[in-house]
Amino acid sequence: MRTVALLLAKDLRTLRRSPVLLASLVVYPLVFAALVGAVVRYASDRPAIAFVDLDRLPETLTVGGQSFDVPAVLDQVNESAELVPMEEDEADRKLSNGEVDAEIVVPRGFASRLRGMAESPQLVLKTARGGFSTRVEQQTQALVYELNRRLQDAYIKANLEYVRLIVDGGSGTFLGNDFDVVGLARAGEMLAEIERTTSDPTVAERARELSTFVRQATLALGASGDSLRATANPIELEVDTEAGRSWLLSAQLQAYALALTLAFICVLLAAAAIASERDENVIGRLARGLVRLRDLVAAKVLLAVVAAVALGVVIALVFGILASVFDVTGGEPWPRLPLLVLGLVAAGAAFGAFGVLVGVIAREARTAVLVAFLVALPLVLLGLLPAGTVEAARWISKAFPFAHAVDFFQASLYDNDPWATLWRQAAWLGGLALVFGAAARLGMRRFVA
Amino acid sequence: MPLLALRRVSRPSLSPCQGRRTLTGSLLSARGITKRYGRVLALAPASIDVEPGDALALIGPNGAGKSTLLSILARALQPSAGSIETPAGAVPRVGWVPQRPSHYQRLSPRENLELFARLELVPDAKTVAGRFLALLDLPDDDRLTAELSAGNQQRLNLAVALLAQPDVLLLDEPTASLDPRQRRLLWEVAAQVRGRGGAVVFATQNLEELERFATRVAVLVGGELVFDGSLAEFHTAPEADVFA
Repeated sequence: MRTVALLLAKDLRTLRRSPVLLASLVVYPLVFAALVGAVVRYASDRPAIAFVDLDRLPETLTVGGQSFDVPAVLDQVNESAELVPMEEDEADRKLSNGEVDAEIVVPRGFASRLRGMAESPQLVLKTARGGFSTRVEQQTQALVYELNRRLQDAYIKANLEYVRLIVDGGSGTFLGNDFDVVGLARAGEMLAEIERTTSDPTVAERARELSTFVRQATLALGASGDSLRATANPIELEVDTEAGRSWLLSAQLQAYALALTLAFICVLLAAAAIASERDENVIGRLARGLVRLRDLVAAKVLLAVVAAVALGVVIALVFGILASVFDVTGGEPWPRLPLLVLGLVAAGAAFGAFGVLVGVIAREARTAVLVAFLVALPLVLLGLLPAGTVEAARWISKAFPFAHAVDFFQASLYDNDPWATLWRQAAWLGGLALVFGAAARLGMRRFVA
Repeated sequence: MPLLALRRVSRPSLSPCQGRRTLTGSLLSARGITKRYGRVLALAPASIDVEPGDALALIGPNGAGKSTLLSILARALQPSAGSIETPAGAVPRVGWVPQRPSHYQRLSPRENLELFARLELVPDAKTVAGRFLALLDLPDDDRLTAELSAGNQQRLNLAVALLAQPDVLLLDEPTASLDPRQRRLLWEVAAQVRGRGGAVVFATQNLEELERFATRVAVLVGGELVFDGSLAEFHTAPEADVFA
C-alpha cells in the first residue's frame, strides 16, 4: 500500500504540472456531456417519420360536429416526432435507405370513415427492421393515442350534444338526416299539463308516472357528461411541466455528465499513466522488487478514482448550486452527496482499470491516449442508446462501466428507494474493475518479458 | 591573476562503511539464462558468475545481447529459461544503470531520488537524496529532469542505482553521454562499490575503458557468450579481435 501511495503521489504531482491538460480534461467532457445529452434527447424524442397523405386530408376535418384543424394537429405531433410530408414512392425509398425512421400512411377513404363514425379508420405504420423501429413504434403508438384522445373528446362532445337535444329538445342531424326532438324538459311540461287538465284519473296517473320517469331521466342524463369522459379515459394523465426539474438540470443530464466525464478522464488518464511508465523506461527498474506489478496497476486505478471523485464532486456541486439558485425541485442533491461519492469511487475504479488495460495493450503513451479515446467513444455511445432501440448494444454496454455508472448516479441522486439499484450497479462496477484490473495485471507481464 | 583557476571541491563519497556486508562466494550466478523474443534468440544459454571485487566488462558488437544479459542480471527482464542464483543468507543488492535513462522526466532530480529512495526503503530519503545530488554534481533546483542535459540525466540514472548501496553495480554503456570529468567521477564511484567488497559489471564499446577499468572480460557475439576470462587472458584470446 505504501508503494501504491508513493506512485499515486508522484502521478498527482506530475498531473499538477500540466495545468492546460488538467483544464482541458475537465472542460472537454462537460461540453461533450451537454452536446451528447442534447443529441440523445432530440434523437430519441423526435424520430423522422415520413407522412404520406393518400386521402388528401382537408385543412379542416369535421367529425361528430367537431372541427379539426389538420395542420394544427400535425404541428402538435411534430413536437414528439418530425413528420415530413412526402409521396408514397419517395417515402418508401427513404425508409429503405434509412433517411427516415418510419412511414405513416393515411389511406384513401380515411376521412370519410372518420366522419361516418361507424367503423375505425386505420393509419398504416411502416418501419425498418431492427435499429430504432421499436422506438419509432412506441412514438407512433403515442401519436395514435394522442389522436384517439382528441377524437374521443370530439365524439364525447357530439354525444353530449345529442344528450342535450334529448334533455332540452331542438333540431339535430344524424347520419345526414335532420330531425326535431321535443326534449325531456318540454315533455315534462306537457305531461304536467295533461295531468292538470285531464278528467280521466287513469290518464292522470299515467301522466304522473311518466313525469317521474322524465325527472329521473333528466337527472341521469345530466350526469352523463362525466360518465362518458370517465368511460373514455379511465385514467387521465395530467401533465404539469412546471413541477419537475428543467431539462438542463435533470437527473438524466447530471448522470450523463458525470458518467461521460469519468468515462473519458479516467480511461484516458489511467491509459496514459501506465503507458508513460513504460515510455519513461522505469517499469524494469520498479519491477526489480521495488513495486509489484499489481501495485503498479492499483496505483493507476487509484489515480483514476481520485480524479473521478474530485471531478465528480465538482460537477455535482455545480448542478446542486444551480438547482438551489434556480429553486428547482424534484431532487436531493445535498443529502445524497455521500452516496454519489461511493458511486464515483466505484465508477472511477472500473473506468480506471479499463484504462490501464488499454494502456497496457497500447504500450506507448501517445498511442494509449488515442486508443483510449477511440475505444471510450463508441462504448459511451452504446451506453447512450435508449432502452429498446438496439438490444445487442444494450448487452454489449453491460460489459463496460458507462451504463452502470449512469444508473448508479441517477439512483443515488434522485431515486426515492435507490438501494436495490445501487447494490446491483455497485456490484457490476466492482466486478468490472476486478476483471479489467486482473486482465491489465496479466498484460503487464509483457512489459518485463 | 590566472585566466583559469582550478578549484578543488571536496566531494562526498560513498562511505565504505555504509552498506558494507559480508557476502561469501559469487555475488550473482547466472545459470543457463536464455532470452527469446518470439523466434529471435537474443541470448543463447549463458552462465556467468560475478565475484566480489570484479570489474567485469561485457563487450561485443551491437545487438550481441549485452543489454539483455545486464537486464536479466538486474531482474528487470525475465529470462525465457535459466535462473539467477544468489548466495544463501544475505542477498546482494543490485544497482542497475540501463543505457536509456530510467527515471521520471516530469519530476526534478531531487524528487526522483527521494521517490526511488522511499521505494528502496532507504531511511531518511530526503538526506540521502541530497547526498547523491552533491556526490554526482546534479542540480538541486526546480528544473524538471526532462530539462537536463543528457550527461546530467545519465548521472541521475547512476544516482538512482546507487541509492540502495548496491553490492553489484550493473552499468550499460554508462559513459556514452558523459564528458571526461563526469566519466572520471563515474569510475570513482564504481571503484568505491568494488572497494567495499562489491562488483561492477559494465557493458562497453570503449576499448580504453576496458583496458583501464576491467579486471575480467566477457565477450558476447550474436547472443552467445564466447569468452569469459581475465583481462590478461582476453589479450591473448582470439575473441579479442571482436572490435577489429
